[in-house]
Amino acid sequence: MSYPSEWTLRRAIAFLAALGVGVATYIAVEAAGGDAPACIAGSSGCATVAKSSYSHLAGVNIAVFGIVGYVLLLASAFFVSDLARFGGFLVALGGFGYSVFLTYVEIFKIEAICQWCVGSAILMTILFALSATRLVAYAGAQNVSKSGPLPNRA
Amino acid sequence: MNDGERRKQLLQLAAGAAFLAVAVVLVLIVVNASSSGDGGDTKLEGKAEVNRALKGIPQEGMTLGDPQAPVELVEFADLKCPYCKAFAEGVLPPIIENQVKNGRVKISYRVLTIIDDQSQPAGAAAYAAGNQGRGWNFVELFYRNQGNEATGYANDAFLEAIAKGADVPNLSHWNRERAELEPEVEASTAEAHKLGFTGTPSFAIKGPKTVGLEPIDTPSSSEALEGAIEEAG
Repeated sequence: MSYPSEWTLRRAIAFLAALGVGVATYIAVEAAGGDAPACIAGSSGCATVAKSSYSHLAGVNIAVFGIVGYVLLLASAFFVSDLARFGGFLVALGGFGYSVFLTYVEIFKIEAICQWCVGSAILMTILFALSATRLVAYAGAQNVSKSGPLPNRA
Repeated sequence: MNDGERRKQLLQLAAGAAFLAVAVVLVLIVVNASSSGDGGDTKLEGKAEVNRALKGIPQEGMTLGDPQAPVELVEFADLKCPYCKAFAEGVLPPIIENQVKNGRVKISYRVLTIIDDQSQPAGAAAYAAGNQGRGWNFVELFYRNQGNEATGYANDAFLEAIAKGADVPNLSHWNRERAELEPEVEASTAEAHKLGFTGTPSFAIKGPKTVGLEPIDTPSSSEALEGAIEEAG
């Protein structure tokens, strides 16, 4: 099976993680100001979700955890090592798992959809796929060129 | 350890982590699905009913309904007052269903303390919940779990249980703020006295056909209240 080069995967991860930092920061800033993120088309879903008890974990807005996760993913894209590959995979796995749980909560418990949360969940899903691909394709690799073939793997 | 061994080990660890993540998410979902939504570890009555009744209605501070609604109904009440509870459960629901949900009326809840020393902190706790958009959930849930007015049931633990059941998003902020809001309860009580109210619940109404906020005392039924709304708007 052929995979995109690690350079391509890292660039994609960096781009999406940077977008994620933006989305999570917007939600956190709005929440800190006592507001809810603005939903498109005047939907009240964002306000309902932002004001639900699920929006906080141990008293901290979950968007703050989102910022931390996306920053770690961004950082993982800047390094070429097994630590970066595996660390990025773990962070993306945690983020993806929590996004699945939050999406379940939105649909079945809060009964409201926040477009920003859905956007973040989509970003985290793609980041998980990219990080998993990076780990599966390049774990154990020492040096990977920008576009060259994979180095020898035992 | 050579590259191949390290790769194998990393992939095994990744597979284990993925398996663990799937298990954790499933457990979280199952635990949440099996919770009745009645306040978690605190047994509260009527949470689902309250959520259903208020679902989709905007809340701003202690005001329920469209902020642009032409008619404003102002209720002065004491959370510990049994008659206020009866009114909230018997008279107001048709008004909320027929007049608030369609954007014609908004209802503002203001505290008028008449029962005992716990009325003021309870009212401030409702105001603090209102600052996080859950004021009416707090009030309605309080009424559905109201105890005997002669007892001191409305202590901090009870108020915290109600706030938790009302899904107040930031409980630590709510807890800090509620003491600071007691002067607002004193102010709304003073406002009620100024309008001539001494009992609860008492109502005042403001609309296109009224001159400012007009007292209407305590309408005897939903129909009487609807009549007052009709006259005001």
